[in-house]
Amino acid sequence: MSSLEIKHLFGLQGVSYSDIRKILDTAKQFREVLERPVKKVPSLRGMTVVNLFFENSTRTRTSFELAEKRLSADTVNFTTSSSSVQKGETLLDTLRNIESMKIDIVVVRHKGTGVPKFLAEHSNAIVVNAGDGAHAHPTQGLLDMLTIEEKLGSLKDKKVTIVGDIRHSRVARSNIWGMTTMGADVTLCGPSTLVPRNTELLQYKNIGHVHFESNVERAVNEADAVIALRLQKERMDNALLPSMREYRNFFGVTEQVLSKAKPNALIMHPGPINRGVELDSEIADGTHSVILDQVTNGVAVRMAVLFLLAGGRFNEQ
Amino acid sequence: MNNNVVVKNVCVWNGESFNEPSVLRISNGIVVDNDLPNALEFDADGALAIPALFGLGLDFQEPHRDDVYTFKNGFNAMQKGGFYGGLYESNANPIDDGEKLSAIKKRLEGHPFEIELLGAYSVGFGSSSLSEMLELSSGVVGFGDGNAPIPSTRFLRLAMEYGKMTGKRFFFLPLDKALRKSGCVHEGAYSDMLGMKGIPRIAETITAFTVLETARFLQVPVHFKQVTCGETIELIKNAKQSGLDVTCDVDIYHLLFDDSSLESLNAAFHLVPPLRAALDKEALFKGLEEGVIDAISVNHFPVLLQDTEVNFEDSVPGAISLEIALPAIWNELSLRFGFKKAIELLSYAPARIAHARKAEITLGKRTDFVLLKEHAPHSVLANELSGHVQNTPLLNKVLPSTILGSCIGGNFVLNH
Repeated sequence: MSSLEIKHLFGLQGVSYSDIRKILDTAKQFREVLERPVKKVPSLRGMTVVNLFFENSTRTRTSFELAEKRLSADTVNFTTSSSSVQKGETLLDTLRNIESMKIDIVVVRHKGTGVPKFLAEHSNAIVVNAGDGAHAHPTQGLLDMLTIEEKLGSLKDKKVTIVGDIRHSRVARSNIWGMTTMGADVTLCGPSTLVPRNTELLQYKNIGHVHFESNVERAVNEADAVIALRLQKERMDNALLPSMREYRNFFGVTEQVLSKAKPNALIMHPGPINRGVELDSEIADGTHSVILDQVTNGVAVRMAVLFLLAGGRFNEQ
Repeated sequence: MNNNVVVKNVCVWNGESFNEPSVLRISNGIVVDNDLPNALEFDADGALAIPALFGLGLDFQEPHRDDVYTFKNGFNAMQKGGFYGGLYESNANPIDDGEKLSAIKKRLEGHPFEIELLGAYSVGFGSSSLSEMLELSSGVVGFGDGNAPIPSTRFLRLAMEYGKMTGKRFFFLPLDKALRKSGCVHEGAYSDMLGMKGIPRIAETITAFTVLETARFLQVPVHFKQVTCGETIELIKNAKQSGLDVTCDVDIYHLLFDDSSLESLNAAFHLVPPLRAALDKEALFKGLEEGVIDAISVNHFPVLLQDTEVNFEDSVPGAISLEIALPAIWNELSLRFGFKKAIELLSYAPARIAHARKAEITLGKRTDFVLLKEHAPHSVLANELSGHVQNTPLLNKVLPSTILGSCIGGNFVLNH
C-alpha cells in the first residue's frame, strides 16, 4: 500500500503538490542516511525489485540499483541484451514471466511512451518509470527539484531555465510538470527545430508558468537555476541542426551567458555532458555547478520513491 | 432459415422521414404487403428500419493474413453492423493483376453482400511500377494503393495518366511519406506533452494539393480517403468549386475522437491517419454539413491482439468498426444534420462513390435494412465482435444506441 496518493510513478504530470513534497522531504532524510558510515536501512527487506531496462543506461540503472540495495531490497537486473526480448518475446509476455517470479516492484526504462503505465495495467507490481521515450523521466525531475531546494531553500517563485533539445527530452517534460507544480517559473530555450511548437496545452492545464525564449541570454536572464540538456549527435544527422559549432555558439551555456543569471545561480545537467557543446568545461566544473550533487541526490530520491510507493514504513527491526 | 419475416412495431424510412410504427413484411428479401403465414415475427419495439449501410475502406486480410481475419469474419461483422456492401481494398494482398482479381472475385462468390473492389495502381502498393490497370479495370471501380504513400510525384503523374484510359477514379490516402516519417500521432499539443513523434497537418495538405494539381492537369477524377484536417477540406472545397471531379470521405473515428484521447496512452487510439485536434474534428463536421465531405468511411482493419498488447508506438495502427459504427455515430449525426443526411452519409453516398446500387426499403424490391433502437445504450463487448480481434477504441465503451438486427439480401438476423 503506497504512502502516496499515486500507486505507481509514471511521470510528474498529475502528481500532487503533497506527493512531491512528501517525496522530497523523505529524500532529504535519505540524503542524511547516505552520509552515514553505514549507508543502509532495512526498509525494503524481503521485497524484490526488478530493474527492467529495455534501453541502454548506466547512470540511472546504477542509481536505482544502489537505491534498492541501500533499502535492503533484493534486486534483479534485466536488460534486453541478456533477455528473451532478443528472441521476439512480447512486452507483455516478458512482464508475465517476470511477475510469475513474485516481483514486488518493477523499475522500467523503455523507448516507448507509456510502457510503465501499460505494464502497471497488466501487473500487480508497483511500477516506477525510469524513462519512457521522450515522455517522462520522473525521478530525474525529482532529483533536480531536490537539488534546487537543497541549495536555494525552495522552488517557489524560482526561475528555472532549461536550455537545449526540449522536444526530445523526457527530463525537460518531467521538470516542467514537477517544477511548476511546486511553484517555479520555467523558461524553455532551444533552436526552433528542437522546441515543441504546441506548448499552449501547458497553459490550458493551469499548471503554472512556462515560457519560451529563443535567445539564450534573455532566457537565462535573472535565472535561479539553469539546466543544460545533452545534445544528441544524431540530431545533426536528421538535419535538425547544422552543426555542433553553431549550436554551441548560439545555445551553449558559457561564462557570457551565465553572467546574465542571478549571482548564485545553479548550473545543472542530467549527464552525460558534451563539454564545449551545451556546457563549457569551466562552467561544468565551476562554482555554480551542482551536477555531482544531482547524482548523489538521484540515489536519495530513488530511495524515497521506492520506499514511499512500497508503503513508507521504516523497518528498523 | 425462414424466408418470410414480419417485423412489427417498426418505424420504416420512407425516403424523407421515418413512418409511424407499422408492420414490415419481407419475403425472400423482397418487401411485400400481403400476409405471410408461418413467417418469423419480431416486435421491434419502435426501432428504426434504416437502409443498410455501405462501408468504404474494408480490409479483411484474407488470404495472406487469414491468421488475423477472414472474409467469413468480415461478412459476419457486416451483417451484425447492418452493412449490405462495401468498397474493399486489401493492404495485405493488393489487387495488382488479373490473377489476383480473379482469385478475390472467386472468394466473394455466393454471399449476399455487395463488395466492390479497388485495384492497385502500382505493383504491390507504393512501388514505382505500374499495375496492369487496363486489365484490372473490368473488375474494379477505381484504383488506389491502400495506405501506402505515393512514391514520387512523377510516378503519381504517370499512374494517373495511364489510368485515365480506364475512366476510373483514383483513391488516395493523403499523407506525405517524408513528413510523416516515424510519426504515429497528430503533431500538436498532446504529442508535445507526451513526447511522441507527430504527423503534422502539412503531411496531409501537401499531398492533397499535389494530387489535386495533378488531377487538374490530367483531368482525372480523384477521391481522398480519411481526410482529417480543416486545411485539406478547404483545398477540396476550392477544387470542387473550380469544377474538379473530386470526392472525399472522413473516417468514423475521426468524428468520434480527437487527440486528447492520447492522454490515455491506449494503443487502440493508434490510427493512421492520426486523430487530430478538437478544432479539426469540428472542421470535419463542418465539411460534412457544407457537403465538401461526401461520405463517412469505416476503414475496418483488424489487428491481432498481440500486436496491440504493446506500447503505443510499437502497436499496429488500425481499428475495426463494422459492428459498432452505426450505433456509435447515429445520434450525433442525426442530431446535427437530421435523419436524411445521416443516411446519405452512411449509406447512399458511400455506395455512389463505389458505383454500387442503393439500399432500399421499397415495396416490391429487394431490401437491405438495419434495425436500430435509439436511446438504448449498450456496451461493446469483445465477445460480440467477429473473429478474434478487438482493436477498437470503443471496446467496453457504452454506445448510445443498439442494433437489434439486420436484413441483408434476404437474411434476417437478430443481434440481441
